[in-house]
Amino acid sequence: MVNRVLPRKLGRDLRQRWGPIASLLLIVMVGVGCFVGMASVWRDLDGARTHYYAEQRLADFTVDLKRAPAWVVESVTDTPNVETIQGRISVPALLDLPSQAEPISGTAISLPTERRPVLNDVVLRSGTWFSGEREKEAILNEAFARENGLVPGSRIKALLPDGQHELLVVGTAMSPEFIYLLAPGGALAPDPARFGVMYLPEDFLRKRADLEGAYNQLVGLAHDASRTALRNTLDLLANRLDDFGVTNTTPVQDQPSARFLADDLKGLKVSATVMPGIFLGVAALVLNVLMARMVAQQRSIIGTLKALGYSRAAVTRHYLGYGAIIGIAGGLLGLGFAVWIHWGMLGIYREFYPMPEMRMRFHPDFNGMGIALCLSFSLLGTYRGVRLAARLEPAEAMHPPPPEKGGRILLERIGGLWRMFSFRQKLILRTVFRNPFRSGVIVLAATLSAGLIFSTLAMVEALDYMMEYEFKHIARQDVTIQLRDPVHRDAAREIVGLPAMSRTEPQLQVVCDVRHGPHAKRIGVTGLPAGNELYTPLDKAGEPVVVPERGLILSKKLAEILDVEPGGEIRLRPLLGRRREVIAPVNGVVETFLGLSAYADIEYLSRLLGEEQTANVLLGRTYSREVGDGFLNEIKTFPTVVGMERRIRAFEQLDATFGQTMGQMISIMVLFAGLIAFGSVLNAALVSMSERQREVGTLRILGYRPGQVAGIFYGESLLLNGIGIALGLGLGVVLTYLLARAYSTELYRFQAVIRPWEFHAAVLLTLLFIGLAQLILYVMIRRFQWKEVLNVRE
Amino acid sequence: MCDRTCILCVEDASRVYRMGEVDVAALRDATIRIYEGEFLIIVGPSGSGKSTLLNIIGGMDQPTSGHVKFYDRDLARASQDELTLYRRHEVGFIFQFYNLIPTLTALENVEVAVEIARDAMDPLEALRLVGIEDRAGHFPSQLSGGEQQRVAIARALAKNPRLILCDEPTGALDLENSRQILGLLRDLNERLNRTIVLITHNGAIARIGHRVAQIRDGAIHSIQPITERVAAETVKW
Repeated sequence: MVNRVLPRKLGRDLRQRWGPIASLLLIVMVGVGCFVGMASVWRDLDGARTHYYAEQRLADFTVDLKRAPAWVVESVTDTPNVETIQGRISVPALLDLPSQAEPISGTAISLPTERRPVLNDVVLRSGTWFSGEREKEAILNEAFARENGLVPGSRIKALLPDGQHELLVVGTAMSPEFIYLLAPGGALAPDPARFGVMYLPEDFLRKRADLEGAYNQLVGLAHDASRTALRNTLDLLANRLDDFGVTNTTPVQDQPSARFLADDLKGLKVSATVMPGIFLGVAALVLNVLMARMVAQQRSIIGTLKALGYSRAAVTRHYLGYGAIIGIAGGLLGLGFAVWIHWGMLGIYREFYPMPEMRMRFHPDFNGMGIALCLSFSLLGTYRGVRLAARLEPAEAMHPPPPEKGGRILLERIGGLWRMFSFRQKLILRTVFRNPFRSGVIVLAATLSAGLIFSTLAMVEALDYMMEYEFKHIARQDVTIQLRDPVHRDAAREIVGLPAMSRTEPQLQVVCDVRHGPHAKRIGVTGLPAGNELYTPLDKAGEPVVVPERGLILSKKLAEILDVEPGGEIRLRPLLGRRREVIAPVNGVVETFLGLSAYADIEYLSRLLGEEQTANVLLGRTYSREVGDGFLNEIKTFPTVVGMERRIRAFEQLDATFGQTMGQMISIMVLFAGLIAFGSVLNAALVSMSERQREVGTLRILGYRPGQVAGIFYGESLLLNGIGIALGLGLGVVLTYLLARAYSTELYRFQAVIRPWEFHAAVLLTLLFIGLAQLILYVMIRRFQWKEVLNVRE
Repeated sequence: MCDRTCILCVEDASRVYRMGEVDVAALRDATIRIYEGEFLIIVGPSGSGKSTLLNIIGGMDQPTSGHVKFYDRDLARASQDELTLYRRHEVGFIFQFYNLIPTLTALENVEVAVEIARDAMDPLEALRLVGIEDRAGHFPSQLSGGEQQRVAIARALAKNPRLILCDEPTGALDLENSRQILGLLRDLNERLNRTIVLITHNGAIARIGHRVAQIRDGAIHSIQPITERVAAETVKW
């Protein structure tokens, strides 16, 4: 038997309550949209990544060494877990472009002169492969070429190990190895304008790097590419290739571009679950309030239906139908909203992670799950009301409901306190405390809203703090010059003596293996000179740490990983020079937010390499903040120089990159969080108004203006939302600490930074959304047909 | 009455409600028979137990003790499902405040009862019988009190129930409308041979029925035949 009349009642009941339903649908729409949209982006990104890595054969591991003859490659192919292994040449280079005064750091990587499949293969995007007729041809990374206006046919100058060469650009290409184009040395943000990857013919680069018949980098694929298996494989390879000067081994999980992308995908997966959960949870609570109110209002109708012979099951199905309709409608709206999120987010990701096949695809399973989730939460939200309706016995339902609990609320029992309140305030307090569930939902929504807004702003502050700390407090140089190899200080005299430099300090950066008990890590150790001013690690109190003559200072995160404290000892093995393991005392711990750092005295570190007074980085302070063309032109000519960076420019680039994304993220988070407050406040106010129509009508007849009537509702809202916002600020602080920990990785750490402006902004923004809801309520009170309400018969 | 079939028999029925720590006897040892085709009026003041009795007769409630037999079915021992089916097929209710569903039209308010009943009449025909077919497409808010009560009567009638129960059907109406509604009910009883039980506090209505039962303090004090019935139009209070 198909009932046709009750569905009509259902539809008309929903239409009558369009205000609260619309505000509820808004919350549901955002929840479902976030889930489906973000999950779809995750899958598109993940799918594009997997496809790209497979098609272009991204290497599972890389071994950097000083020099390995070609036959060595063949000799290690039988290493367990190695599927295939190839040699190539990779050298740092300094590029001189007509469009840029400053020299640009870069990497030159060899590719076969004749096109054939290789590991870490490239996708040609414009131009052609090497012709084989000219030596000095280059294929440039597409993003780098685009940022610098380079096209096939352009000419660039590159400072290679044996000197400067003019190269003809024959093509541009993409590679899975450099999806996120990060300069080596711990860069955080891609800077395609200032870091160039170029591919040169193997024979040509071999000669330039003095690697005839040899390679300085091995790349390979493994049967088992898990981190543990790769670690074991790389340990084996490092042992077997020790004689050839292994300087570093990198599993694909630590390859910078792959790592950033993997971390981002992980974060996206978390966001796609947590945020929708919050929104749909709030929606379920708000729907609870709405349904409970509706069932109370339809008490006699429920009794009539039961008197007519409708079973409990039929009544249950009818009221569950409200949840189902809202669930399906909200779900469909959410799917539409998801398209916008999907499109927008994918657009942003395309800029950060350019990959072929990164297309917006429809994922029916996520869409189906979105509807199912929405339906589940909606039915859950309807549960309380449906249970009430089902339990009502017909005889009981026909009678008016028992009077509301008339007992005193808790506050009333405190006589002295209660007397302090005005009549209006007492009315507000009684309404609030006699509807604990509804009041609780409003408080919760305001708490979540304020908490989310606060933590978003605080994370922005944390990022700003991190960047300021690293780029302005620890590092104070104007320029950083990277040398190709560690050299004696005297060999760097020419650079040190440049007229533009007012002060220079050497540094020695060496990749080392450190070990403490079962814990081991491969890190970069930075040797600092005594009396260093341009780069000073700071302790927890922000005071400069003096590097001792012997031993290491570790970053806090590294000390945690190694489980070592100041006073302890670790095993240290540099991957340069003599490469002998020593026992090094740990003399202190410093606070850093980037990477896993360790510091030592530069002389101590030099001696570990079997050298004296060596450096491979020069920090310089220039007389003028703006380095002149003369300085830049001179730098470009030093063959030992492979990179130059201005600290301020690096800071500005990071700020611009993250700032843009952060700005979008803040706006969206604030909007979504505000929607929670807006939707639930409006809903509760409309439900409250429907309950108190006679009261509103009576007040209007007595001569109260709409604003004065609205004031009754505002009072309750102010109290509840005030409590909610106060709790929300507390929640926001807790969330900030939790998020700072959750987002911290070995590459970068966040510190929860709580400042007064965050509290002010969170309160103001939350109040803005609440105010918007109250404005709508005021308009509805103005339009309210109070005369008709007072004429209504039972 | 003796040669008419007894369709419902209430025997020593009591209903006790627990209110906190106090037991309230809303009905005490009530015994009454309802015969096929009769128009029975139950009169009693407010709180006398007449609504409780009507609810028990209508399967909306069950006695704490005693028997309620509808033909051979003991409603006092019936399950909730059995009571639901009893209300669905055997009983039509008319309430003091009509209890129409505000978001359904007059016709739809009748259809909502017809859709679950077997052997139901055409909803429009039911509206025609009560003289309100021209208002079929109107919502309750667009109907007067008397018109709404007619729709409620049509809804009760359309199920073709064996028993029509009226709870103060004129309680919310003025004299003129009340007379019309009472006239309609009497007409349905006489023309269509519907068994009608009507409860009221208004003793003036009693004489339109075949019998009147007096109820006070939860107990039935008397059941008397009406020897001189009056027309609904002449009822006055």
